Amino acid sequence: MNDVAKHEPGREPVERRERRVDALLPPVDIYEEDNALHLVADMPGVSRDTLSIEVNDNVLSLEGEVALDMPEGLTSIYAEVRSQRYARRFTLSHEVDVDAIRASIDDGVLHLVMPKKETHRPRRIEVKAA
Amino acid sequence: MFGDLRRFDTDWTSGGDWFRRFVDELWPEPGAADIRSVPRGSFPRINVGRTDDAVRVYVFAPGLAPDALEVSLQDNVLTVSGRRPAATEPAPGERRTRFRRERATGEFSRSVALPEGLDPDRAEARFRHGVCEVVLPKREELKPRRIDIQAS
Repeated sequence: MNDVAKHEPGREPVERRERRVDALLPPVDIYEEDNALHLVADMPGVSRDTLSIEVNDNVLSLEGEVALDMPEGLTSIYAEVRSQRYARRFTLSHEVDVDAIRASIDDGVLHLVMPKKETHRPRRIEVKAA
Repeated sequence: MFGDLRRFDTDWTSGGDWFRRFVDELWPEPGAADIRSVPRGSFPRINVGRTDDAVRVYVFAPGLAPDALEVSLQDNVLTVSGRRPAATEPAPGERRTRFRRERATGEFSRSVALPEGLDPDRAEARFRHGVCEVVLPKREELKPRRIDIQAS
C-alpha cells in the first residue's frame, strides 16, 4: 500500500509505465478455505504453455499470453481485448507454503491453491477442567 | 482500545466490505482503472476482425462450457448469451473467507453489429481456452475481386 502511494505514475521510467499499460489485469476471486488460499483468475485465451507463474521474494506474479491462431491478414474492426498479455501481481503473506502451490488452467480459468504452512494452521486448544 | 480487537476480524463478508472498498478507492491498484477495462456488466469481452473472405468474432468467455454459450446472428447483429455459474460452494463443514470477488457470474447477453453481407448458413464456431471463435464467411458477391487490366 505504501509502495503505491509513494510512486507517482508520472515519475516512473517510461518502459515500466508502458509495460503496465500493455498488459490486461485479469479479474480474480480470492478466498481462504481448507487451510489454503485459493486464487481464481479469468485469463481467456491462455493455455498451459503460455502461462507463467512465479514467486519471487514473496511476490506472486501471474502472466499469460493470449494464444489464438488468427489467420494472416486479419484486420481488427472492433476490439475490447487490446492486449496479448495478462499480468497481475500479489504479495503473499509469510504463512503460504510456496513449494506446495498448485496451479491448473481450464478453459481460460486459472485456479491456484496456496496451502498454508503446517505451523500456521489453526489448532484447537483443549481447555482442561480445573 | 477496541481497534485491536477488530483487526482480528478477517471475515470481510460480514459487513466489513465497505472498509475494503473505501481503502481500494483511496489507493487504487496500478492498472485497475485502466481506460480499457470494461465494467463488470460487460462480460464477455468481444473482438471482431475481418479477412478477405470472412468476419471473425472472438468471444472471451472463460470458464464456460461450449454448450453454455449461445451465439445467434440476425441480419447483421450477432448476439452472444449464456450463463456463467457462480463460483463453487465450499465443501460441507468448511468455512470460506472471501477476500476478492471480481469475476462476473450469472446471466449475460451482448450484441454487436457486424458488417453486412455475411452468410450465416456457413458460419462455424469453436471454443478453445475459454475463447469462442465464430467465423462468418462473406457472401460470394462481397469478396474482393481481382480486376484484370487489359492492355490497350
